Amino acid sequence: MTKRKMFLRMITASLLRRRSRMLIALLSIAVGATILSGLVTIYIDVPRQMGAQFRSYGANMIILPGEEGSLTGAVLEEAMQVIPSENIVGATPYRYVRLDMPSRQQSFTTAGTDFDEVRKTSPYFSVEGEYPQNRREIMVGKEVAETIGVRLGSSIELSYKPLASFEGEASADWVPGAALLGSSEGFNEAVLNVSAVLDEEGKISEIEVDALSQTENIGSLVGTDKAFLDQFLGKSLPLTLGEDVDALSGATISSQAVVDALNSSRSRENARLSENKEHYTVAGILSTGGEEEAYIYMSLEDLTRLTQEEIMDVAELSVSASAEELEGYAANIQEEYPALTARLVKRLAKSEASVLSKLQALVFLVTAVVLALTLICVSTTMMAVVSERRREIGLRKALGASDGSIRHEFLGEGMFLGGLGGLLGGLLGFAFAQMVSVHVFGSSITFQPLLLPITIIVSMAISAVSCQLPIKKAVAIDPAIVLKGE
Amino acid sequence: MALLELKNISKIYGDLKALDNVSIRVEKGEWVAIMGPSGSGKSTMMNIIGCMDKPTMGEVLLSGVDISKETARSLTDIRRDKIGLIFQQFHMVTYLTAVENVMVSQYYHSMPDEEEALEALGRVGLRDRARHLPSQLSGGEQQRVCVARALINHPELILADEPTGNLDETNENIVLGLFRQLHNEGTTLIVVTHDPEVAEAAQRTIVLEHGRVAREVINENFGK
Repeated sequence: MTKRKMFLRMITASLLRRRSRMLIALLSIAVGATILSGLVTIYIDVPRQMGAQFRSYGANMIILPGEEGSLTGAVLEEAMQVIPSENIVGATPYRYVRLDMPSRQQSFTTAGTDFDEVRKTSPYFSVEGEYPQNRREIMVGKEVAETIGVRLGSSIELSYKPLASFEGEASADWVPGAALLGSSEGFNEAVLNVSAVLDEEGKISEIEVDALSQTENIGSLVGTDKAFLDQFLGKSLPLTLGEDVDALSGATISSQAVVDALNSSRSRENARLSENKEHYTVAGILSTGGEEEAYIYMSLEDLTRLTQEEIMDVAELSVSASAEELEGYAANIQEEYPALTARLVKRLAKSEASVLSKLQALVFLVTAVVLALTLICVSTTMMAVVSERRREIGLRKALGASDGSIRHEFLGEGMFLGGLGGLLGGLLGFAFAQMVSVHVFGSSITFQPLLLPITIIVSMAISAVSCQLPIKKAVAIDPAIVLKGE
Repeated sequence: MALLELKNISKIYGDLKALDNVSIRVEKGEWVAIMGPSGSGKSTMMNIIGCMDKPTMGEVLLSGVDISKETARSLTDIRRDKIGLIFQQFHMVTYLTAVENVMVSQYYHSMPDEEEALEALGRVGLRDRARHLPSQLSGGEQQRVCVARALINHPELILADEPTGNLDETNENIVLGLFRQLHNEGTTLIVVTHDPEVAEAAQRTIVLEHGRVAREVINENFGK
């Protein structure tokens, strides 16, 4: 028999035949290792879990058309290939247009979108009724519904007035007695229409402004405020805001739009001002507690048909990735598609990162505390073991064991315990992490195979450290204690 | 040349002279008993002979080599290589079997050899108890295992500390019988005891009193 075999036989016999004491040490190592491997498993898996969790708070990246160029479905699809498809939770196109509701003489911001994707990027949307599924079905914000008094199943008419387009110089039409029409983009790029009549001297004698698309009770007042409108009477075109006429207080942009519309106005015959109208059924009413409640939502197809324009203003993406990865994706999109602008929804990306770093700190702290406790517990147990085995250690020394042998044997026992405890803890830790994950995040966790050997090594290291003091004590035992009939 | 020679050794603890200028000689193959009441310096002498302590003054010659100035580490080596120890309270490793206990001694000395260990147990009549744990052995059996353990590495000297102090008469006789056997084979034995019967089994008895050698008695009945 080799010395190594005898060594193993001695330490296994010591562990197996002196079970109760060793069980305590083993248990404390196993508990420590469980917490260690469990927390680290959660820690490794948590960014993914957190990502999914955070995705439920909405999009974290938006793609916009750049200075030049426009965003279409095809372009968006191409740009999204920069991001691994499995990381894309959802990608929702939005186009915002002001639509008028002729029956109420009001206008509302209407978003054209893809409702299947909305569900993914805005999971917090709470819809009474259902998301629109069929053509000419819409979802209205709660605020809109209350303002205009619609319910599920109500039918409403919406109309779109595109910017008038003209050919040739506008001033050619400004002849005495002309009836003019003009359009311009006002607040929020919403189109506002102006009609005017010139008198025989070529001065404005009548003016009518359709400003329903402008902000209610602010911009829209340019269409109703008599004092503002009266300023235009008797003036010749073109006009300059601030010189010929004053802006309506608080509605500078809409006022400018009225002036712009007049300055580009054409005779009725030359103006191509059209209005598209359709009837829609309210399929759902949206509550979010946010600004979305002031919008009307319809499918992008419906909006495209209504406006005869197939573009989108923005795409909201929900991407499952860390803040750094997100930044990388955005930068890549920016680089490969200069006509687009990709931005992170900073608030979300940041808070995700900060929650993660806090969690990281917490995991480190708890792990450190648990490891320290394990260290103390194992050390104390081994200390008690040494006291209990004083006589045996004395005997071994009397039989000729060197200090090195004693150290070696105790370290061997400690490491064996550490390894066994680490193995046990590594497996239990996975179960622990799985339990936490299922309860906290509601999803299962992936087993990290590398974590098992790491846990075992760390446990062995911990017990090796724990054994140092007890070993010192063991080595100091005087072999003479076995003599004398104590 | 004597196997063991203590030359004018003293061991002083503060004001107490545990050993006071003691000189003894033990020849190779001799069986010597050391007797004395408690406090006579028996234990101190035992520690010094067993290489577990050093005298304050004087020389300890083992096979002619002075070991009184050696470090604790080399004393451990000397003890392991030259001395077999037997204790009053047996002292077995409780979680190891009889044969494993014998092998522990081999383990520290050179190489564990189960066959040889079993043979040694056979010599003390315990071959069939080799796989028993100490708790399954009687006191006498345990002490016989310890005798087997002491002789396994063929030491030059077997040092026994009250080897029969915890044994009944039957087992005392068995152990003394074993000693007789070892003596006949040429093993040097030093037995520390306060039991006159055990001392009488030896060739010579050295009586200690107050840290000094009070007298030496040659056992005239030895071998009879």
